[in-house]
Amino acid sequence: MIRMSGRFRSALIIGGQGIRARKLRTLLSMLSLFLGVLAVVVVQAGSEFAQKELLADAERSMAKDGTLQMYMPPHEKAAPVALETLRGRQDAVAMFENRAIIGEPNVAPVNPGGAPFDQPGGPGRFYRCDNRGNCTDASQTGAPPGKAIELNLVALTGDIRPFRGFRQDSGQWLDFASAPSLAPRIVLNKEAAKGFTRYQVPAQMHVDNGTADSTPQIIGVVDDGGASYGPMAYVRADELLNWMKPVALSDGNARLQVLMSPQARDLEQTLKARLVAAGVQAGEIYVNRINARERVEDQLAMMRLIFLGMAALVLLIGTAGILNVGLATVGERIEEFALRRAVGTPRILLAGIVLSETLLTGLMTAGAAIGAGALGIKAGASMFGSRFPSLANVEFPWQAGVAGVVAGLVAGLLGGLIPAIRAARIPIATVMRA
Amino acid sequence: MSPDLTQPIGTPALIRLSGITKTLKGQQQPRTILDGVDLTVHSGESVAILGRSGSGKSTLLSLIGLFDRPDGGQYMLEEQDISRIAERRAAALRSARFGFVFQRFFLLKNLTAAQNVAMALVNGQGWLPRRKRRARVLEALEQVGIAHLAKNKPPKLSGGEQQRVAIARALVRDPRILLADEPTGALDTETGNLVIDALHSATERGCGLILVTHDHAHANRMGRVLRLQDGKLAPAHQQVVA
Ligand SMILES: Nc1ncnc2c1ncn2[C@@H]1O[C@H](COP(=O)(O)OP(=O)(O)OP(=O)(O)O)[C@@H](O)[C@H]1O
Ligand SMILES: [Mg+2]
Repeated sequence: MIRMSGRFRSALIIGGQGIRARKLRTLLSMLSLFLGVLAVVVVQAGSEFAQKELLADAERSMAKDGTLQMYMPPHEKAAPVALETLRGRQDAVAMFENRAIIGEPNVAPVNPGGAPFDQPGGPGRFYRCDNRGNCTDASQTGAPPGKAIELNLVALTGDIRPFRGFRQDSGQWLDFASAPSLAPRIVLNKEAAKGFTRYQVPAQMHVDNGTADSTPQIIGVVDDGGASYGPMAYVRADELLNWMKPVALSDGNARLQVLMSPQARDLEQTLKARLVAAGVQAGEIYVNRINARERVEDQLAMMRLIFLGMAALVLLIGTAGILNVGLATVGERIEEFALRRAVGTPRILLAGIVLSETLLTGLMTAGAAIGAGALGIKAGASMFGSRFPSLANVEFPWQAGVAGVVAGLVAGLLGGLIPAIRAARIPIATVMRA
Repeated sequence: MSPDLTQPIGTPALIRLSGITKTLKGQQQPRTILDGVDLTVHSGESVAILGRSGSGKSTLLSLIGLFDRPDGGQYMLEEQDISRIAERRAAALRSARFGFVFQRFFLLKNLTAAQNVAMALVNGQGWLPRRKRRARVLEALEQVGIAHLAKNKPPKLSGGEQQRVAIARALVRDPRILLADEPTGALDTETGNLVIDALHSATERGCGLILVTHDHAHANRMGRVLRLQDGKLAPAHQQVVA
């Protein structure tokens, strides 16, 4: 053990001496290797960013990893049962999705069917079907066109952000701790916010199956990840329930979805049992566990492989550079190595000296490439941060640093192995003959 | 072989070669360079080896110094048979028992004199603490009278000074035996004498010395003078004359 570490130290110290004695050569080796290591660092950093971004997006539009998601077709008993079962639970939130129209009453909304506002060719025909399979043409209500916006109104029994990574865009998020307001406070998604800035509509909200229209207050805008899915608004369920009966929350076209924390298996069982007892078909209740990470990683794996392959190719060229310089250097140092062997340096230590030189070169290159990558990211963030909010405060991912160090070491090892073997094989007797 | 009167009877020999043979594969056909060499060297004894160019003197030294192995015969080092020793142990013995001096000095030009000497202390068996290392290096440089040049790099030293750095490198581990292959070959007579002085003083501390040389004056300062001829070692006439 002591002997091994003594050798290791000797190899490192003498290797360091060799590097200092041949600075220009070391610099040239580093240059040839730099692009390859940088490529590995950049690919690794890029895929870390992509994964983080895709994951954050998945958390906004679906739910965080491991979350239990329960959903079922509309059923009039579903909402009362869910409200009752979830009361006081912090580890689950029910979402009731209803159709709502905000604006002038009894007119055709500017986006029939809650369509996105920038649909090519304008909002087209839209059919709505109820749970008995009766479909009506929702875009042909016969009502005159007017100043109204149709959207999906999601009533929440609690704060949903622990389950879905909403990003606040402006204003505030719903405050579930305060006393419920008679004028429902709503938070728009970005698509809905677009509609409300484009069209001036009066503050009157009509909800399907509501008992009366209410006067909503818009308090904020969030990025819910589902921008392409049309305008949405989020509201506290208890505030909405001032204007409609619990059964209406999950009847007709309304949909119920419950998000539960990964540990809430008991709640899942209870809720399921009660729903079934209330008459919901057991086979129509679906529960699945969100595994966004796995899906995202699957999506990225191929891309990452392709790019890493290309980076490896560049790295290989750099390795050939190290190998070239290493072989030339060993050729020049034949006498030195023979002499070292003559004074008792074992072959393995000699090989270690050569290897430690290329490994140190690889490490220094990795340091330079990681530094360049980190600086580049900083520069990119300050240049494009305002345009892409997700870039605003990115940090250099440690995985990219590890990848750079590994790439540098592998290149040093590959480039140094053959020179090291050559150095160890130098015959003393031939060289030292006078 | 001349009887060795400087050693008490029964003292174990440092080196005992008997019937050593070595064949080198030349460009055309193999040539037997050494054909039954016998040699015994005791502690504190000095031996000169003369011989025509190409007679195999360097080849013999490379076998004694464990750079290479003999094809046949027996090599005893301090009563241990090392004729077929493995490379790992050979490296350890080179470091622990031998000091080498060559015609060319083999100094690394980007290291100082002291660092060149310290090189022989790095052998993978361990690493002396810095202060001990420095003390031993300076002691070795002092033995050859150039401690004041410790910080100079070889290009700034004269040939004689460089060779004395090389001798200090050979002495720094307190070797049992010094092998010198034409150490004065590249030096003028006066400087050569200084180098031989340095080598000779090592034998006074009990070190064995084998000196290969073409210079009869230098050879005659050794305790015994041998000649390598036709692959065998024999006493040289010069000794009788001197
Ligand atoms: N690697 C080798 N392969 C084959 N033959 C060799 C090799 N090295 C040396 N020889 C031959 O072996 C013979 C002895 O060489 P050696 O170097 O031992 O002679 P030497 O006595 O030291 O000569 P010099 O006085 O010129 O140094 C020479 O004829 C040389 O040509
Ligand atoms: Mg010779």
